[in-house]
Amino acid sequence: MDSILYDILDNVSEGIIILNGDIKIIQWNSYMEKITGINYKNAISKTLYEVLPGFNKSYYKRSIDYVMNNGYKMFFSAPMHKGLIDDKHELNIKVGRINGNDGKYLMLEFIDVSNQILRINQLKEDVNKLSTLNKELKEKEKIIQNLAYYDSLTGLANRTLFYKIAEKFLESSKRDNKLLGVMFVDADKFKSINDTYGHMAGDKAIVEIARILKESTRKSDIVARYGGDEFLILLPFIKSESDLKKVLLRITSDKNKYITFGGNKIGISLSIGFSSFPDDGESIDELITKADSEMYKVKNR
Amino acid sequence: MHKNPLTYDILKEIFNISVGKSASILSDMINKKILLNVPDMDIYDLNERHVDSSEYLPEISSGALMVSSITFDESLRGRANLIFPAEKMRKFINMCTNEDKSDDDGNMDFNDMDFDIVKEIGNIILNSVIGEIGNFLKINLNYSLPEVKIYNKDNFKKDLESVQYSYILTLYISFKIDDTEINGAVIIELTLESLNELIKKVNVLEDEIDG
Repeated sequence: MDSILYDILDNVSEGIIILNGDIKIIQWNSYMEKITGINYKNAISKTLYEVLPGFNKSYYKRSIDYVMNNGYKMFFSAPMHKGLIDDKHELNIKVGRINGNDGKYLMLEFIDVSNQILRINQLKEDVNKLSTLNKELKEKEKIIQNLAYYDSLTGLANRTLFYKIAEKFLESSKRDNKLLGVMFVDADKFKSINDTYGHMAGDKAIVEIARILKESTRKSDIVARYGGDEFLILLPFIKSESDLKKVLLRITSDKNKYITFGGNKIGISLSIGFSSFPDDGESIDELITKADSEMYKVKNR
Repeated sequence: MHKNPLTYDILKEIFNISVGKSASILSDMINKKILLNVPDMDIYDLNERHVDSSEYLPEISSGALMVSSITFDESLRGRANLIFPAEKMRKFINMCTNEDKSDDDGNMDFNDMDFDIVKEIGNIILNSVIGEIGNFLKINLNYSLPEVKIYNKDNFKKDLESVQYSYILTLYISFKIDDTEINGAVIIELTLESLNELIKKVNVLEDEIDG
């Protein structure tokens, strides 16, 4: 009967050691031979600590005594006990007591989880790759969104974004009976800057105008590039026309209205017209048209 | 349940001794300073109509719970559960394996290896708590290794209420590794007979103290 039991132990797919009350090895199955490279003859009758020196630590000794004396089961998880046998095998170890007729015995089970750990690590790697890819896609999406709503040269809102925001503010102005201002800004003789100094100088001038407009307006105002050398400013939260005039004054009084290009100091001049809801129109288009025609009046003066 | 302060103090003392032992084993194992204590405990009778489950489940987390459970059913019948808030477990697991990944702290994707680590820690703590009860009552308890599961709080409540143990002993546990503190609980479900056994034994001690 005993030999059948030993045969069974030899055939199970986990390492099994049986220790007697003196912690000496009385059974060492073939799976233990496989994972340790130590054969039965060299293990038998020796103490666990001699054959597997990894156990020669106070923590394991205390645990083994604990199981032997109290009969509770102990469990050592592979990730917390790396290298207990060697660096190749990741092993979960269970320790339990067997009460025999002639005394107490301990059974140690070694369950090889190396493959599981390998698969988990591969999965983790895949997840990390996917998460990096996802991050990149999100960044690209943001860039695409920016391209759709922002002017790439100046970083200002473009016409589409301007309309989106302006419609919202117009709705709330109508609801709350508040004023909403629109300013139309056009660069004077922009064509001649382009023709005389080239497109690079023209671009530089546009960027400079964007800076002037951003710096002269309030935080709540929306500055947008309408197209070419035309800009729009949406001014919510104004109390009267004099608020519009204050912003206008700040733009016109900016002292740095020039660019230097190729050693030339090129002056920038702006024509500005404005309109406001409800006096000048009921829709954004009407307000823009009104501000545009006001701007032309200024330009032709 | 009639609350006799001395009974509670004696039980608290017993549990503090037992978790102290597991803290020493754990410190030894992961080479970090670990402090475990039971600052408070309570006993609830589930048959009392006014007992609301939110009372015996400590407010350790509003989210998911990681629960390690063992069942014992010989001289003493019941089940013991070690509970920690799941969102704290990633940091806890990383500390146990000496992996310092602070960006990973709130991660709640646990794999088999993580569960094995929690199983090992849960086994040490539950062994010492239940073992101490066994020692105290001078009875032998037989149980297997813990099962580790993730529950949401409601499911865990349902699970507790579906099993026919009428009494719940809640030990509030504070677990400190280095400078990180995690609050959890050990919830021990017991039959009336088993709880009576325990209280009877404590009462004997009380009489000895009172002289």
